[in-house]
Amino acid sequence: MSVRRPKLPIVVGVHALLAIATMAVLYPVMLVVKKAFEPGRQFALSPSPIPKRVTLEHFRALLSARGSHGELAFLQHTISSLAVAIATTVVGIALSCTAAYALSRFRFPGRKAALTSFLVVQMFPASLLMIPLYVLLHELGLLNSLSGLVLVYSTTAIPFCVWTLKGYFDSLPRELFEAARVDGAGPIRIFWTIVLPLARPGIAVTALFSFMTAWNEFILASTFLTDEGKYTLPVMLKSSVGQFSADWGQFAAGALLTSLPVMALFYVVQKYLVGGLTAGAVKG
Amino acid sequence: MRAGDLRRALRDALLVGALLWIAVTAAFVRDRNKDATQRALRHAQAAAELVAIGDTPPTPTAAAAIVGAPVASKEHGFLRRRVAHTPTGERALGGPTAPAVDKLLYDAAGRYDKDGPFVAMLTDGSERAVAAVATARGPAIAITAGPEPRAPVPWLAVLGHLGLMLVLVGVGAVLGGRARGVGVALGLATWAFPAYFAGGPGLALAMLAVAAAAGWAHATGATDRAIASVRAHKVALSFLAPAGVAMIVLVVVPFAVGLALGFYDHHHGRWTFVGLANFKRILTGDGHALSDPLNFWFILGVTLAWTFVNVMLHVLFGTLFALILRQPWLKARGLWRVLLIVPWAVPNYITALIWKGMFAGEYGAVNSILSGLGLDRVSWFSSWATAFSANVATNTWLGFPFMMVVALGALESIPKELEEAAEVDGASSWQRFKEITLPHLKPALGPAIVLGSIWTFNMFNVIALVSGGKPGGSTDILVTDAYRWAFERGEQYGMAAALGTIIFLLLLGWTLIGRGLTKGDEEARP
Amino acid sequence: MIRGLAIAALCAAAAACGRSDAAVTVWHAYDKDERVAIEALAADWNAANPERKVELVAMPYDGFGDKLGSAIPNGNGPDLFLYSQDRLGDWTAAGVLEPIEFWIDDATAARYTPEALASLAYHDALWGLPVAVKSLALYVRTDLVPTPPRTTDELLAMAPALTARGVFALAYPVDDLYAHAPWLHGFGGRAMDGDTPTIATAEAVAAAGFARELVQRKVVPAEADAALTATLFAEGKAAMAISGPWFIADIPAGVPYTITTLPTVSATGLAAAPYLGTEGILMSARARDKDAAIAVALAFTSDAAAALRAERAGQVVPNPAAYRGALADAPRLAAFRRQLAHTVPMPVSPAMRAVWTPYKNALGQVVSGAASPAAALEKAATDIANYARTEGAR
Repeated sequence: MSVRRPKLPIVVGVHALLAIATMAVLYPVMLVVKKAFEPGRQFALSPSPIPKRVTLEHFRALLSARGSHGELAFLQHTISSLAVAIATTVVGIALSCTAAYALSRFRFPGRKAALTSFLVVQMFPASLLMIPLYVLLHELGLLNSLSGLVLVYSTTAIPFCVWTLKGYFDSLPRELFEAARVDGAGPIRIFWTIVLPLARPGIAVTALFSFMTAWNEFILASTFLTDEGKYTLPVMLKSSVGQFSADWGQFAAGALLTSLPVMALFYVVQKYLVGGLTAGAVKG
Repeated sequence: MRAGDLRRALRDALLVGALLWIAVTAAFVRDRNKDATQRALRHAQAAAELVAIGDTPPTPTAAAAIVGAPVASKEHGFLRRRVAHTPTGERALGGPTAPAVDKLLYDAAGRYDKDGPFVAMLTDGSERAVAAVATARGPAIAITAGPEPRAPVPWLAVLGHLGLMLVLVGVGAVLGGRARGVGVALGLATWAFPAYFAGGPGLALAMLAVAAAAGWAHATGATDRAIASVRAHKVALSFLAPAGVAMIVLVVVPFAVGLALGFYDHHHGRWTFVGLANFKRILTGDGHALSDPLNFWFILGVTLAWTFVNVMLHVLFGTLFALILRQPWLKARGLWRVLLIVPWAVPNYITALIWKGMFAGEYGAVNSILSGLGLDRVSWFSSWATAFSANVATNTWLGFPFMMVVALGALESIPKELEEAAEVDGASSWQRFKEITLPHLKPALGPAIVLGSIWTFNMFNVIALVSGGKPGGSTDILVTDAYRWAFERGEQYGMAAALGTIIFLLLLGWTLIGRGLTKGDEEARP
Repeated sequence: MIRGLAIAALCAAAAACGRSDAAVTVWHAYDKDERVAIEALAADWNAANPERKVELVAMPYDGFGDKLGSAIPNGNGPDLFLYSQDRLGDWTAAGVLEPIEFWIDDATAARYTPEALASLAYHDALWGLPVAVKSLALYVRTDLVPTPPRTTDELLAMAPALTARGVFALAYPVDDLYAHAPWLHGFGGRAMDGDTPTIATAEAVAAAGFARELVQRKVVPAEADAALTATLFAEGKAAMAISGPWFIADIPAGVPYTITTLPTVSATGLAAAPYLGTEGILMSARARDKDAAIAVALAFTSDAAAALRAERAGQVVPNPAAYRGALADAPRLAAFRRQLAHTVPMPVSPAMRAVWTPYKNALGQVVSGAASPAAALEKAATDIANYARTEGAR
């Protein structure tokens, strides 16, 4: 963390080390890329990340596979996944922004209990909530519906989002609120015109988190959904490498396509990422 | 008398009354269904008894006959034919195109052979009852035609009751003073009557208790204060409400159910209350020696080691990369940062499956690299240390970017002037790290470590997909063991839930300690 | 609050307009050719019966059984589903299945081989109609092994030459009981006797010892799971593999191979006998229109339907009358049909569910040399008995 520039050999050395480390970090990803473009169903035995032969066969097979009703399966699953992930993000952010605002800017009885419970509910292993959730969604008539998944995912994402956003709201300067209040703005207007615009980095980060929660989940999705047309991408992807028979080529192609949207989001959000997560803790 | 008194008394009575109304209605509906069921069962029984003596039942039946003993097919012992005897003649039951009601007779006869005479509701949701009574020629079986009519809702009584309640509450309020509370209590106490008829004395007593409590709360002004408090904070509460309601319905309720299931035993879809037996079984190691990978304490030890090692490595690599990435002289900082975040963006089940492939057998990429470097190939999943390391490597890979980003955020908040001043003062880099960087890292890393340890503690995908518990379940952590209870040991959901409760308590304890250590609690701030 | 209610209302509305209720829903976990074949059958049915159609739903294989077990009792399940017989014990006890012997007369029963039909019977009732029988067999790369070994001694004898070339003689998931079962049965052992697990028997110890010998003499790789087995075989790093019909799809074009029966265990003179799984079409106890459902089940298992599945998907069907014309001597089908003579039916007892994982742990310990076969199996027996203890406590 030197402010001055160190000597040249150190600079070169650090760059070299960083390059090696980054290569190591990216190696598993490169293996997936390789498998996606290399012919054959098997996980190849050679450790080289460069394919011997290149083919688009896996992508073609993946994209042209059809479901029971003749629909393009991958496209259908992508649409399901996108719908679920976007809805989860919207619902999750709407609910957590309002809740975080209440917890950050107001003092009321039960506030501490609410804060604590938002932290505590994350501790019960999600996989064990599956059985009660199944019965609950059944009672609500939301089994085998994407809306049910959206509700479950957004409530899974809320605790983390509330905590992150509350930290972020806490870090906004108090004077702004005082000034707005003096100007006669009500709490809703303050929330809408001051808090939300200023908290954009925090919101971007929690949006990313909610999106990923929904985009990556497969245990609940494969239990609750019983309609092929509604399957999300991970359900389909996971089933391409079953216990007995695995098509790693299609899996790799699918994994690549599935990871791309998340990577793109990371790229868009990355300037907010640093700071969006930690503002509350650092500036408080 | 003041109008405000009457309004407040009615408000309290109606608020509490609404709750009581829900409880009584639920009891009424249940009671009415039970009554219909019992009538259906009685009709079926009576009909079957008439069939047994050769009469035709007076009530409508879907089917009624005496069913003979099964005759097994010569080739296949499990294919068994039965004959139904009715006053109008005989017919063989079964065959590819046999009518549906015949199957009900056939199945009832099978059940009679196993359990003896019985009367029960059909399980197909049609609300029909089936009864079988013994005769010399075999069971006489009758099946009712359809749902029994339900008793009507006594609307007059309901209206009268509501009127009585309002009158009592009103009279109390008019009299004023102590009578106000008594009026509310007496008015609500009227709910005990319908409660008694719909749900029995227990429910009636509960109603009386609620009524007394409501009256007392009204008299002492507790309800006024509670409502005033809600009014005073209505903005905050309405901001909190959407998330609060969603969390209560979809997280707190399943969570409470999950906790409760830990006290039950599950076997073939039946739940039996067993008290603390599941917990006892887990905590005493379930008959396994302490060194056995199936012993709870062994798994707990593995889980703690797993969490500690992972979080430590996450923080170590995360901070290290963050410290390098913030050097102003570093070329292409943005690019490095994006590349190093990539593992976070890859869905973790994909990561786990890739790493599993990389560690696979003697041919995985890791072993190929090792042998390329002139080292011995390692059979990764045949010993605890190597299997555990494989899991840790995977999880470190996918987890360090989060810590890196948190650390970067914390480091950005260090004022440049502070560092420059320290450097001018001739502080060594270690001193600067200790005195400036570390204090800025701590407040951000503290909560991140608590959060990260919760995630790692419950990291199901990596363990399940990479080592799968190999060798011999010794790399399982508590969540994967809980999963095994639920799905690999005869669906013992109760044991799984009990283990989930223990996991929850452990994490709760850790968070309390962790928050004390890091002072991450915002209440500490002005 | 209002927003929450609005969302809930929207969701409920979305859920309400779900599937059409008139159709007979059939869940299956078929993939590729098998899926194409069953979809062709469904299309035929729907063309002939437009008033009560069949709706096929493909499920991921992982967790399919658990999903059925939770969906059906809650009324969210299918009317019919395709599954092998190994969960009959659980499902009949939990009331998941509808007994179907009522509809089946001797004439209908005569369509199927008696063994296949009997494997779907449990507790004096019939629970499904057989669709296909599946067992492991021996896959041999003819470029590496011109003559398949007939006995385990021959297998051991041909190993050193192959090992010298860096090739394993055989690959299979050594620690998996399903793949180990041929040796277990070949040594005269059984994993279950009725409802009682029989784990640490002398025969089982001998079989586990044999598996260890295979690994120690480098005949078989120590850590191959199903995926690695496929890779090794495809790349010529393993000359033979033990796997089932699904393995054919994993072999790349251009690899010369043949399928044959598993070798005889030289120590006992008994044939190595894999488990026989019978895939049946089973009826949910909550099926809405049971008459329609049984009609569909009968149609999907008719001789013509079986011939179509055998021809298009290479299924080994239990309908003797289906093997006519070219099907009668299709080589791959013939190999699996020969293997059928030496199989042991997959245990149906619910107790079997708790056997797989401890057995896997034990085999893992044995082949890695961490424990002796006797000690490892004793431990597995104790663990299994321990799970059964509480199950039987009621």
